[in-house]
Amino acid sequence: MNDFILMADAGCDLSAEFKKKYDIKIIDGHLVLPGKGDVPSFMEWKDVTREDFYADLKKNQSDFATAPPNTAEYEKAFTAYVKDGKPIICITISSAMSGSLDFATTARKNILNQYPDAKIRLVDSMRYGPGFGLMVVHAAMLRSEGKSFEEVCDYLEQNKNRFHQAGWLDDLSFVAKKGRLTHPKAFFGTLAGIKPIGEFDSGGMTTVLGKAKGAKAAYAVLLKYIEATIENPEDQVIFIAQSCRYPQAEVYKKMIEDKFHPKAVYINDVYPFCGINVGPGLMAAYYVGKPISDDLSTERALIEQFISEGK
Amino acid sequence: MRRINGIHLEKMMNNGLAYLQQHEEEVNRLNVFPVPDGDTGTNMALTLGNGIRYAKSDEHAGAYLRSLSDGMLLGARGNSGVILSQFYRGLADELVRTPIIGPGELRAGLIRGYRTAYEAVVHPVEGTILSVAREGIEHIRTQITRNSSIESILSMYIAEMRKTLSYTPEMLSVLKEAGVVDSGAYGFILIIEGMLKCLYGEVIDPVEVPAPKTQQPLVDLSLFNETSEFSDGYCTEFILQRLTNSRYKQEFDKQSFISELRFFGNSIAVVVNGMRVKVHIHTLYPAKVIAFAQQYGEFLTFKMENMQVQHNEHDLEIAKKKEHKALAVIAVVNGEGMKKLFEDFGCDIVIDGGTTMNTSSAEFLEAFEELDADEIVILPNNPNIILAAHQAVELSKRRHITVIESGSVAQGYFAMAMDVPDSDDAPFRVSQMMSGIENIATVSQTVASRDYSYHQISCRKGDEIALLDGEIVSVGSDYAKTILDAIAAIEDIDEKETCVIFRGTGVDEDRGEELCESLSARYPLMDFECINGGQEIYHWIIGLA
Repeated sequence: MNDFILMADAGCDLSAEFKKKYDIKIIDGHLVLPGKGDVPSFMEWKDVTREDFYADLKKNQSDFATAPPNTAEYEKAFTAYVKDGKPIICITISSAMSGSLDFATTARKNILNQYPDAKIRLVDSMRYGPGFGLMVVHAAMLRSEGKSFEEVCDYLEQNKNRFHQAGWLDDLSFVAKKGRLTHPKAFFGTLAGIKPIGEFDSGGMTTVLGKAKGAKAAYAVLLKYIEATIENPEDQVIFIAQSCRYPQAEVYKKMIEDKFHPKAVYINDVYPFCGINVGPGLMAAYYVGKPISDDLSTERALIEQFISEGK
Repeated sequence: MRRINGIHLEKMMNNGLAYLQQHEEEVNRLNVFPVPDGDTGTNMALTLGNGIRYAKSDEHAGAYLRSLSDGMLLGARGNSGVILSQFYRGLADELVRTPIIGPGELRAGLIRGYRTAYEAVVHPVEGTILSVAREGIEHIRTQITRNSSIESILSMYIAEMRKTLSYTPEMLSVLKEAGVVDSGAYGFILIIEGMLKCLYGEVIDPVEVPAPKTQQPLVDLSLFNETSEFSDGYCTEFILQRLTNSRYKQEFDKQSFISELRFFGNSIAVVVNGMRVKVHIHTLYPAKVIAFAQQYGEFLTFKMENMQVQHNEHDLEIAKKKEHKALAVIAVVNGEGMKKLFEDFGCDIVIDGGTTMNTSSAEFLEAFEELDADEIVILPNNPNIILAAHQAVELSKRRHITVIESGSVAQGYFAMAMDVPDSDDAPFRVSQMMSGIENIATVSQTVASRDYSYHQISCRKGDEIALLDGEIVSVGSDYAKTILDAIAAIEDIDEKETCVIFRGTGVDEDRGEELCESLSARYPLMDFECINGGQEIYHWIIGLA
């Protein structure tokens, strides 16, 4: 029996195409935008272009803010399906970066008081943006293959630490200020031209493992890193996230296609719900590979080795 | 007052919101480190505001609270907002059948409030709003009697919460690192304070007001004592209301007012808004400043601080740097702006080399003494200091000190930017920093201070000149052109991806943008960053990687 609902919060940055194709229900979060106040999060560039949005954000960082869906909003979203007796798997943005999971948990508890038979499973993706989105897509693909509610939940819990990020975040001021980077204090200041290379850590945040000077050096390190960590690339759909680095993402996409021949590579936007916290400088590929070590020691050694080789 | 009904409560809540809004920015600014949402003050105000809009006026206190808490639950924004709404939910749950709240009911409500808030969080974190709300009531619950007034209960509650607030940095290390108290906890206390103020008749208009400055940390007065020598003066700030009464001078000219003030001190800032004049000055003789200003009107506000106490606090901060580190960095720079920049980068000690950049080995040795680190890296940032740095290393007989031979602040910048503070592998970090200075071309631009002629280059005093890695390569009357020519002279300019521009003192931001624009027109694929370096002598220092 696999007639269940797959839900994710706005942190998953999935394009309309994916949401539709895989029937994924999205729970909007909140954005505070200059001059507009509190508005629901959105996942397409309608009233503003990507470039204008990030240029404004860079200029007036403190005028932008985000908040996850609150308990009442989660309750409403769950109730709509619980009433019809549909089981729900709800995947949330990393609990290290947002209170989304907390609110979903409270909402679930309240729903269970009212509907004791409701079946709602919450999964902390420990990821954000398109990395989180890729995990949601994997869950949806398993559902299409006929896997059951339990099987999909088990897959997510057992495999979430195999979702990798290979990319750079070349403007760390956003994550540092918002506390969404491990050891943020050490990263204040501007980093023109330097490409900090980050991977997801076991705490559900990003740790910078090394830095490359310039994009060319960074691409070389990243491709080696993917090669060392990916599994069965030819069977995979790879996501590339870019907040405001589209030209670089296109270059990266071509390189990945040429080297790994995956089923497909999609360039995904990072929309304001994540973008406000990440800033304009994210450019990274997401794929499934070997489990990430708890202390990142394996991954750190690889990055250090590849950076040294490039010198 | 021993009992309050729903109408009282409504007024109190309105006042709580207004008081929080008054301090909203202040609360937001406390919100620097790992919290899942950026703007605590805004989130809390939005949450409470929604509750108040939603709530229905009702004499029955419980009924009012129920509708208030429903509105808050619906409008909750962010972590702090949700916790706040859960607190009021608990309060409402407890008091829903209570038409008039007395001391016992209030106590029970405050207890139920914090317990509900705890339950709402999957992993409660101490050092937050939860801790203040819990300790606030738990520490006073036995003191509340049938005869306690609502005012006295809230006063005690606030006093206890303030105590806990001051401990939040001890409970939550991220707060301590950032040097702040918990923003959510502070916001919560402000709401309760606003409620209490209402009972005392102090009604706050719910209008936008200019955000007050962040609360200054408590000053340790023992830092200035009978043996101190007074040299730094007072930081003096006031708002003067000019008066039309003929006893006061009526003719007022901002420029001459500033010129007069210059007799009494420095760091002068004067802002005129109609008949109000805001003044900031550092002075050894505040009495003279007061007498001078009072010719024009009277003071609306007045603040004066002994800067020596501040200065001594700064010394204490330096002393604190002795904490153990795996790797510490010492950099030499020129100018306050540059000093701040390198401190922001995470340099542990930044030595001001002065305009001529002639730091001695002894200064390095002193710096080594101030540090407790397994590895030390020195960034001399000037060819003239590299030797002194090496010598200091030799003299100190300490191992694990590396001089990274950065010949310019641009190279030092790239060295710092390449550091990976997350790594435990110190040799890797040093090698990363060393790779930072490789293949960096530095262009410096200034005005010739005398006539000069060497090889094929000659210039007159006052000409614009640009140097590439220490050699004059272009001369002219237009500074921007000399810079463009110098950059064009870089051998592998086609390989360069990044250009960092440091503006010197007196070069304004617009000129920085202009230069960036003309450079990016010439090199469209390059990334540009313009930073206020504040260095002296060189108007521009430009690093290309």
